[in-house]
Amino acid sequence: MVEVELYGLPRLYAGGERCQVPAGTLREVLLAVEARFPGLAPAMLQGGAATELVRVALDGREMIESADYPLREGAVLVLVSAQAGG
Amino acid sequence: MGIFGRILKVGLAGDRLECEHVPLDPAVHRAFIGGVGLGAYLLWRFAPAGVDPLAPEAPLVIALAPLLGTPLTTTAKLAVVCKSPLTGRISDGLSSSRFALAAKRLGVDAIVIVGALDRLSTVHLGEELHRCRLEPAAGLSGASPVEVGEAFAGAHVAAIGEAGERRVRFASLANDGRHAGRGGAGAILGAKRVKAITVRGDAIATVADGEAMRERARDLARRSQGAATDKYRRLGTVSNLETFDRLRILPARNFQAVSIGRKRARKLSPEGLGAQGGHIRAGCAGCTIGCDHRFGGTRLEYESLFALGPLCGVEAPEQVLAAAAACDRLGLDTISTGGTIAFAMECAERGLAPWSLRFGDDLVPWIERIAAREGIGDRLAEGSRRLAASIGQGSERFACHVKGLELPGYEPRTMQTMALGLAVAARGADHNRSGAYQADLRPGVDRFAADLEETPPRVIETEDHAALLDSLILCKFLRGAIADPWVEGAELLSMAAGIDLSGADLRAAIRRIVGLRHLFNRREGWTIAEDTLPERFLSEALEDGEVVSRELLHGMVAGYYRARGYGADGALDGALLERLELGRWLEEEP
Repeated sequence: MVEVELYGLPRLYAGGERCQVPAGTLREVLLAVEARFPGLAPAMLQGGAATELVRVALDGREMIESADYPLREGAVLVLVSAQAGG
Repeated sequence: MGIFGRILKVGLAGDRLECEHVPLDPAVHRAFIGGVGLGAYLLWRFAPAGVDPLAPEAPLVIALAPLLGTPLTTTAKLAVVCKSPLTGRISDGLSSSRFALAAKRLGVDAIVIVGALDRLSTVHLGEELHRCRLEPAAGLSGASPVEVGEAFAGAHVAAIGEAGERRVRFASLANDGRHAGRGGAGAILGAKRVKAITVRGDAIATVADGEAMRERARDLARRSQGAATDKYRRLGTVSNLETFDRLRILPARNFQAVSIGRKRARKLSPEGLGAQGGHIRAGCAGCTIGCDHRFGGTRLEYESLFALGPLCGVEAPEQVLAAAAACDRLGLDTISTGGTIAFAMECAERGLAPWSLRFGDDLVPWIERIAAREGIGDRLAEGSRRLAASIGQGSERFACHVKGLELPGYEPRTMQTMALGLAVAARGADHNRSGAYQADLRPGVDRFAADLEETPPRVIETEDHAALLDSLILCKFLRGAIADPWVEGAELLSMAAGIDLSGADLRAAIRRIVGLRHLFNRREGWTIAEDTLPERFLSEALEDGEVVSRELLHGMVAGYYRARGYGADGALDGALLERLELGRWLEEEP
């Protein structure tokens, strides 16, 4: 399974803070997240891809976006608002 | 059209006020646009080389902008530009207010204040020069900016708090409850013995193309309420804290850590803060975004939250809110206040300083001592660089400033594009003039490892983008709602002021502005040695081993100046000055 954590806008739109979904490609994982939290579509997630409002950090570090990116068992995906600034 | 072609020069001497309108060549706006660009030009023109920022002859520039006064959303802004008493370098702070709108109705493009009074006064400025006058302000001594505003009910007021009166080097200038915070503009007004400025006028800057402007204003307002600004509207920037904690970006305990832990971060989230007496949302004058979030009545942004919270080891939301309210009341920049206190806390915990100040302590009594320059507060009022110099014993190593300006809430060791952005920024460690953090959070950028080739142009792009928005002036929170800021910026300038520039011309103007700010710093003693980070970031690794490589940073600084076309020592040669069309502006007399 992949652990998914949500912060900022993604959390607000989802109405939840975390979920577990089966491992797979980034697209497959985000589709599963979208199914788990329908409120994320279409503003945050669309068809298994993050919109320009969201960043996806693998294990809280590298920002990834390639649909084919393979996510192993035990990986942690962190979904955050794209806008920083303050 | 959109501009008046003149400035108001306010001369102060003893108990006298002399105001005059000084013509402004229309070419100045083509060259420097407005806001921070116009402010840099006027600072260059009116500040004697090498001037002490707190001396009477040091100017304080309130620069307005071509878009100010139009129906465009988020344009009710001004830039306060000066030689910073904290850094000795250029400083410019923006704030949004009805004061900005009213200032434009004086029928001028900027206000330049020089000289000093011999007693605390309020400066009343009118559209007609004979209405400009002084009023003794002894009764307002020690009053908060809000209290000053109440004393002139019905007028539009900019004011300093007690910290400005006492010349605290990071005192702010407040208007409408907003602060031009960074760099100590409040201390300059305090040194001039000006407690407040009121403005009253009826002039209207006609818009060059009213119909197009109204249509664009409706369109921009609509875009400003879309998903691209949703975070600012619904959560506010305070929501950054929990995210940054998770991404290990959040500076804690004077940059000794990058996380405070999930549970503590949650307490400082919008939900946690909202539990402290409620959460309401407001907005700046003339803004359709409405990013102003107040918790228990106190307005709070991420930068104030990080600086008065985790940076000082403070975990309780009510303590952070009380500290932020104290800074607003006393007229202090929250980032420099938190940064200086956090440094003092670490000095005390290391046994390098005698004061009984520890991480996690209640900040309010210390903030009050700083504003009053009482006891140890007098030393803290000088900022972390001067405080470190007075403490010595190697404390300079962990005094977290660049050019004397305390760092904002982005950890350079885990954001290495930002590390370069902080090092080279003209006004010192700064997140508003260098938005390099945006690059660090993009896919495809390794934020833990900078790159000699790719990092400098990323920093330049975000720096130029910020200079564009700050010159027009448009709020940066609109950036996600504007597809191409160069094209749209040029269109807006044409509609508002009849200044017809191509996107490329506008880019050239922004390079000119960046160049002039740099030249001002060079004139005031800057050398390339200043473009670095505190030793802590170069030699103390975080728990996962991240550190900023000294050699790489120096290489990137060199790459930054190379990419800007400057010399290895940061000099601009004659050919570049000609290309930037800067030379003629450097020779003008006040």
